[in-house]
Amino acid sequence: MADSASEYVTLISHDDYEFIIPRSAACISGTIRRMLDPSSKFSEGLTGRCKLDDMSGVVLEKVCEYFCYHEKYKDQTNVPDMDIPPELCLELLMAADYLDT
Amino acid sequence: MRARHKIRAPRRGLSHAKTDDFDSIWDVLSVSLNEINTKNASTISFEELYRHAYKIVLMMRGDDLYEKVKQLEQNWLKSNVQKLVTESISGSLVRAQNSTDAQDQSSERREAGEKFLAALKDAWEDHQLSMGMVTDVMMYMDRMIVAGQKPSIYATCMALFRDHVLNSSVRPESSLSVTDVLKSTILFMISLERSGHIIERPLIRHCIQMLEGLYETPTEEESSKLYLTVFEPALLEASKEFYQAEGQRLLQIGDATTFCRIATQRVAEEQERCRYTLAVTSEPKVLELLDEHLIRSNIEEVVNLEGTGVRHMLDHDQLDGLQNVYMLNARVDKKKQALTNVVNKRIVEMGKEINNSSILLPQAAAAAPSSGKDGDGEKKTEKGKDKERPQNQQTVSAIRWVDDILALKTKFDGVWEKAFGNDQGIQSSIGASFSNFINMNSRSSEFLSLFFDENLKKGIKGKTENEVDILLDNGIMMLRYIKDKDLFETYYKKHLSRRLLMKRSASMDAERQMISKMKMEVGNQFTQRIESMFKDMTVSEDLTANYKEHIARNGDPDQKPVDLEINVLTSTMWPMELMANPKDGAVQLPCIFPKEIDTLKSSFERFYLDKHSGRKLSWQASMGTADLRATFVRSTGKTQRYELNVSTYAMVILLLFNEIPEGESLTFDAIKERSRIPDHDLIRNLQSLAVAPKTRVLKKDPMSKDVKPTDKFLFNNDFHSPFVKVRIGVVSGGANKVENQDQRKDTEKKMNDERGGSIEAAIVRIMKQRKTLTHSQLMTETLSQLSVRFVPDVNMIKRRIESLIDREYLERVGEEPPTYGYVA
Repeated sequence: MADSASEYVTLISHDDYEFIIPRSAACISGTIRRMLDPSSKFSEGLTGRCKLDDMSGVVLEKVCEYFCYHEKYKDQTNVPDMDIPPELCLELLMAADYLDT
Repeated sequence: MRARHKIRAPRRGLSHAKTDDFDSIWDVLSVSLNEINTKNASTISFEELYRHAYKIVLMMRGDDLYEKVKQLEQNWLKSNVQKLVTESISGSLVRAQNSTDAQDQSSERREAGEKFLAALKDAWEDHQLSMGMVTDVMMYMDRMIVAGQKPSIYATCMALFRDHVLNSSVRPESSLSVTDVLKSTILFMISLERSGHIIERPLIRHCIQMLEGLYETPTEEESSKLYLTVFEPALLEASKEFYQAEGQRLLQIGDATTFCRIATQRVAEEQERCRYTLAVTSEPKVLELLDEHLIRSNIEEVVNLEGTGVRHMLDHDQLDGLQNVYMLNARVDKKKQALTNVVNKRIVEMGKEINNSSILLPQAAAAAPSSGKDGDGEKKTEKGKDKERPQNQQTVSAIRWVDDILALKTKFDGVWEKAFGNDQGIQSSIGASFSNFINMNSRSSEFLSLFFDENLKKGIKGKTENEVDILLDNGIMMLRYIKDKDLFETYYKKHLSRRLLMKRSASMDAERQMISKMKMEVGNQFTQRIESMFKDMTVSEDLTANYKEHIARNGDPDQKPVDLEINVLTSTMWPMELMANPKDGAVQLPCIFPKEIDTLKSSFERFYLDKHSGRKLSWQASMGTADLRATFVRSTGKTQRYELNVSTYAMVILLLFNEIPEGESLTFDAIKERSRIPDHDLIRNLQSLAVAPKTRVLKKDPMSKDVKPTDKFLFNNDFHSPFVKVRIGVVSGGANKVENQDQRKDTEKKMNDERGGSIEAAIVRIMKQRKTLTHSQLMTETLSQLSVRFVPDVNMIKRRIESLIDREYLERVGEEPPTYGYVA
């Protein structure tokens, strides 16, 4: 259990995999950012735990990887490509749409 | 090439089983939305709501969802919020709507107002918060369906708040809307604050922010903010009324200082109010109103208020007050016209006073019984030091005039610097005023030159270099204001030549400094002649030394040598009228010098012409002095020697008595015949030799003050003096004084001749360059060329043009417009 202003947040997949990543990284997603916004009094905002019922662990892992990747190379040019397995392409696209990333 | 992988099909609808029709999902959503509205959202999962909304949108029912949400919020506002707000409006607030008297039942109204504002603020903030949450949840919907076609759900809900809360009527039966009450309440609060009460600013600030956050139209343009459309006009109207009344009220108090202080305070207050209570955007508008109604319409009256206005402040050095006036005036008028006018008027008034007193003073002195002719310095001693001669008095008053003006200038400089923020426009207008009244005094050039003369003779003794510098700078500053600089030049040259020839100047350094300052101020041309006067002086020194050497080598050792110290002056550069007899145009035969002097004279002439052939020396006896050793044989037989320092003429007269037998007398006519000294000088020299009590080297018969042509003179062997060296001054050459009427007329006449020359020269210069020119153009050019030195009279220019045409320098080449051509 983390309190609302904690530095790390927990993302939980449909099949109950938990990913703990920095709040700043997670907030790249518009959806998650709003979900966690402490000023709106939703339960996720209060607990710092987001259950993402539409996503499987595999996809969410890739999503988290992207979050961290983005965070790492935020303001740089000449960034190395991120490896995306082609079989996950479509599902990741859907996730991106859902998460507003 | 990489092997082709099979792409996994996305698994759709992980929870399809649970909910797949719109209505059931909406049921879940609507319950949650109501929870949000009642601020009870902590149990709801954002993700769940988001997912539901997401699904509905994916089902292509986004539009329905939008409408549903809108409906739901509208119901909520209507049923709950509106009631809450209208209930907070007490009856007194509604009634107060009609009464314009702010002070009436103010505390009651204020309390009710604050309660209402607080309720409204809470309702607004709650609405904002919950709408924020709803928008977050409906984010996907906003993104997908709303983009470009409809206002976002947030904006729509804000509009709902506007329609159903603010624009709803307060009471079912009245047409008064919540906005009206809000408006009047805030204005009431502001008027309270303006009359000195303390109000709860943050509360008002919040309500204003609410108005700023709401728009009239769905497109949300900047100009359609509720604040701008609803509140600001009312605010401006109220401010206008308030400041009109305030202006009247303050004027009635009739104290300029108070007015300015309060007005300045008001400006600061309004600025603060707009920044911290209302909206920043209103600041310029409110201030504009304030400027217009409080300041602009009243400033002139304030500035001119009898007894407390700017004049009073100037007279009493109220710098703070002046500064306030300046700031206020600067707000409404870039040129600060009102203030400048008064300041200028005052300067001219004070200047006139100074002018008048400089005229009155000598008159008063002249009225006092002090007989005798003007300008006899020797007589001063006779009458005692306490009673000064009128002319001397005039000189003193001339110098005082300059001092007074300088003091006035210093005062206004101080005011300008401290109160008027070194404003350029005001500075130049102050300068113009000074110039104005200085030139009103027709004798300003003369007075100023006398001032320099006085200071260069005595004033600077015992002063540090810095002080001298400041003194001269001040004088130069006045010179800047004087229009007729050529007149000043004439006087200055005259006074300077006396200083130089009589060796009266206290410091040559200061003289040179003065010249270089003048050069900077008025230009090279102006000082050219003055500089060459200095050059003559130095050349003459060398010459004297050389001549002495020459005599020592070649002179006849038997003859008693007479020391000669000579100044050879270039006649065009020096004011010769000083030395030449100004009385009549007739050729004045040169004065007959005694034998000894004549030899000396011719010896020097030979010496000089040897060096410089083709020059003509003319001897100016009137400016020189001589040292004589005189032996007086007392009746007891004893002899007494005195060293007499006399003017050249007096020496000539005294030496005449060497040639006649002891005890014999010479008549005035005889002296005149033998010496050929001009009447005027002769009379004065005889006066100082025979009339002045302490230097009575000659006896006069009959003994009277005036010298008549029939008077007889004889050598006074009983001459007695406590000193061995006696200086016998001659009046005319003595001090530089204010001219008397005749002299001034003379100077003016000479001035006019000189100006005529300058004008002609300028016209010819211009025409030579331009070949043809219309009359008006020629006028302007001439005026601008000459204005550095003096302000020429237009008629005089016209006459000069005529004369040039007559002499065929110019010709008329056209009549319409009149045009002139240059004749080569």
